[in-house]
Amino acid sequence: MSASDDQADVERVLAGDSAAFEGIVRRWQGPLVNLAYRFCRDRGRAEDMAQEAFLRAYRRLAGWRRDAAFSTWLFALATNLYRTELQRMPARTVPLEDAAEPHSDSSADETLAAEARDVAIRRAVLGLPGKYRDALVLFYFHHMDVAAAAQSLGLPEGTVKARLHRAREILRSKLPRLAALPWKKAR
Amino acid sequence: MRHQELDRILSSETGIVPSSGFTTSVMEAVRREAAMPPPIPFPWKRALPGLAACLAILVVAVFASHSGAAPQPASVPFWSRMLSDASTALATAGRLGLGWVALALLLSLASVTLSMRLTGWRS
Repeated sequence: MSASDDQADVERVLAGDSAAFEGIVRRWQGPLVNLAYRFCRDRGRAEDMAQEAFLRAYRRLAGWRRDAAFSTWLFALATNLYRTELQRMPARTVPLEDAAEPHSDSSADETLAAEARDVAIRRAVLGLPGKYRDALVLFYFHHMDVAAAAQSLGLPEGTVKARLHRAREILRSKLPRLAALPWKKAR
Repeated sequence: MRHQELDRILSSETGIVPSSGFTTSVMEAVRREAAMPPPIPFPWKRALPGLAACLAILVVAVFASHSGAAPQPASVPFWSRMLSDASTALATAGRLGLGWVALALLLSLASVTLSMRLTGWRS
């Protein structure tokens, strides 16, 4: 993904060539759909949310100030939209206390059990209070880059670090049984 | 659960691939958006004279009622005069039915805010 490609496409769209927006969609559809998916764990809804994010980006393209990378601006816009969408219609979650408890009988395949545990933990993230969930989702989405997560959330890095710490603490305290399942054979 | 284990689980997630029609769907929406006429801006030029006139009438009404009140001696403390002025202004506002106007405006604002929230603040 090239920043100059983004800039060129933005200039063309702003000059009236709306078809040039397709280049932006093609380059960023994967990240935006995946980010939405991490917020809602529903593929169909993730695509709807990402489409809405692209439309909002199209409408506000003139508002992108060139002092920040296009991707930074786009992720911040999408994050803001996804959080609003989740406030309006929360993702289907289970309370953290009731988060999936995979069968841990010895006959079960340990790899499958570990995978089930991983899925349960990822789903459990959605059960966290919003501000902790957002920090955790953005941090791992940006490959554990606190600065990038902070930019997407529009928060200081210190605040994001504090929220990450608290989010991990809550997860660890609420999922003791999941933690007891095998770790070594996880993928 | 150790810190690193949580990091490993949450960062090792395999991403999903957007469906094949995603780009087409987005671009159709973009084309619809581009074809739509631009939103009608609020007619500030037309509204401003009316708003200014309303404000002027309100100010004149408050001053008129204030000038009709008995003059107060200069020895009355400043805060007491302010309190008296404020109560006079409120009484005038009450006589002119401004309380109802304010209530109606607040209800309209609440109704607009609620409907925008319900529709997801689409812009």
